[in-house]
Amino acid sequence: MSKSNTLGFGLGLRSEYYQQILEQRPEVDWFEIISENYMVGGGKALYFLDAIKEQYPLVMHGVSLSIGGPHEIDADYLRQLKTLADRVQPCWVADHLCWSRGSAHHLHDLLPLPFTQESLLHVASRVRLVQDVLQRPLVLENVSAYVQWKTSCMSESQFLAELSSLTGCEILLDVNNVYVSSRNQGFDPWQFIMELPHGRIRQIHLAGHSDYGHYLIDTHDQPIADPVWTLYSKTLSYLGATATLIERDDHFPPFDELLAELFKARSISANVLGAAAPCA
Amino acid sequence: MRLSAQQEALERYLATGDSVIPSELLVQIQGSNTLPAADGLMIYNNAYRARLLSVMREDFPALHRWLGDESFEQLALAYISAWPPRHFSLRWLGEKLPEFVSGYIAEPQRSPMLELATLEWAFTLAFDAPDAVPLSLDVMGSFSADDWVYLRVCLIPSVRWLQLQHNTLGMWVAAKAEADIPAAVALSAPLDCLVWRHELVCQYRTLEPGEASALRLLADGGSFASLCEDLLGQHGEQAPQRAVTWLKQWVCEGLLQRG
Repeated sequence: MSKSNTLGFGLGLRSEYYQQILEQRPEVDWFEIISENYMVGGGKALYFLDAIKEQYPLVMHGVSLSIGGPHEIDADYLRQLKTLADRVQPCWVADHLCWSRGSAHHLHDLLPLPFTQESLLHVASRVRLVQDVLQRPLVLENVSAYVQWKTSCMSESQFLAELSSLTGCEILLDVNNVYVSSRNQGFDPWQFIMELPHGRIRQIHLAGHSDYGHYLIDTHDQPIADPVWTLYSKTLSYLGATATLIERDDHFPPFDELLAELFKARSISANVLGAAAPCA
Repeated sequence: MRLSAQQEALERYLATGDSVIPSELLVQIQGSNTLPAADGLMIYNNAYRARLLSVMREDFPALHRWLGDESFEQLALAYISAWPPRHFSLRWLGEKLPEFVSGYIAEPQRSPMLELATLEWAFTLAFDAPDAVPLSLDVMGSFSADDWVYLRVCLIPSVRWLQLQHNTLGMWVAAKAEADIPAAVALSAPLDCLVWRHELVCQYRTLEPGEASALRLLADGGSFASLCEDLLGQHGEQAPQRAVTWLKQWVCEGLLQRG
């Protein structure tokens, strides 16, 4: 993957900001959509999606693929995902390394997998299936975790590296998730990042979390915390220019506050990589 | 323990909402010094219910306001237990709430609650129903005489047609205005109510019986000529004028597309 074609700095597209984006054409290099929000018949979401994709590159980011789930991959979901990808023509399609659907029903959470050989083979076969349908590499994100399975015999980052090697899938490195999980589980976040195959990292996520003292929860309803900015800076110094996206999913601030965070990411990147480096 | 068994154990724990963590699950989980295994599992357990409750409050705000926090949460949790999420999108979580209410709540609350839930779900359905190209006055202006004779129309896909037996609409309007919600009262006659989306915005209005009957005739495939004929009995010579006036209103409201 060439680093020279990084998309630059993007924001999660949320309905709260549709009108403002179209009216003000903010200095955002790209937007990331939550895929499931646009798997609908019609109406406001698809109207604004079509209008905004005329003006900005888009990336698709799903939450319901359940790539590690015990069920068969939902054929209807996959069909709708492909239909949406054909409509959006996204730069890439991402989801999470997790399971979100059980054998009986949907759990609507990003649940951690045991990082075992059994899981690796299970997930790899499903990644191949999804990639065959989408006709493109799938991009998978590390999740925030609040527990680990005792049967795990490798770290999440080692698992992602193996999975990428087996399937050709790419990686969405959520720096906030690394930090949240590292605090909750007591591992070194930098070691996590060093264990990833850097050439396979397609995108970075940044977001806020809630600090409950002895543990953190990935809430996406706060500004990005200082330790996450620090880890982001260190990550960029190692990876080089990498498409970076800021997520906000609750307690939506005025759009300018999100833009200020985006400019901060830009500035950190410029400082780390040299002023001319990052944007496409 | 195999992967599928581990997942089944966690799924069962989350779905049942038990405060006690089953030992066969707990022994599989590695905690840390900062976040013990039981506390970590509780975070997932709490998040599951909090997320679903939040969606139910968002999709049924009037019902929530009418029942109050405690009773609504009790209803929503009972519903989630009976109808756990079966679709990959949370947008469909509340689909079966009206059906659930009809079996779970006793009269006299059942009927108005069922209607209010149905009305709120109608708005959810209308919001993102498939797009349509509504019939416009511009297009009708270019109609030939034959076009009028053979004109067939149908309702656009977002239209939901409800027959209300109670003052449900008044209750919904009050809830939306964050005003005091009137007591549920049965109407002396059923009231036709349409919910639909026009130019991205959800709309609603009631129909008096004559208009409802005329719109039903056209929506069921009747021709404009048959509508005029049907109105003759009640409106005499004014029937064509009456038909044109209604048709123009329905078209301006974006309710119709060519059949």
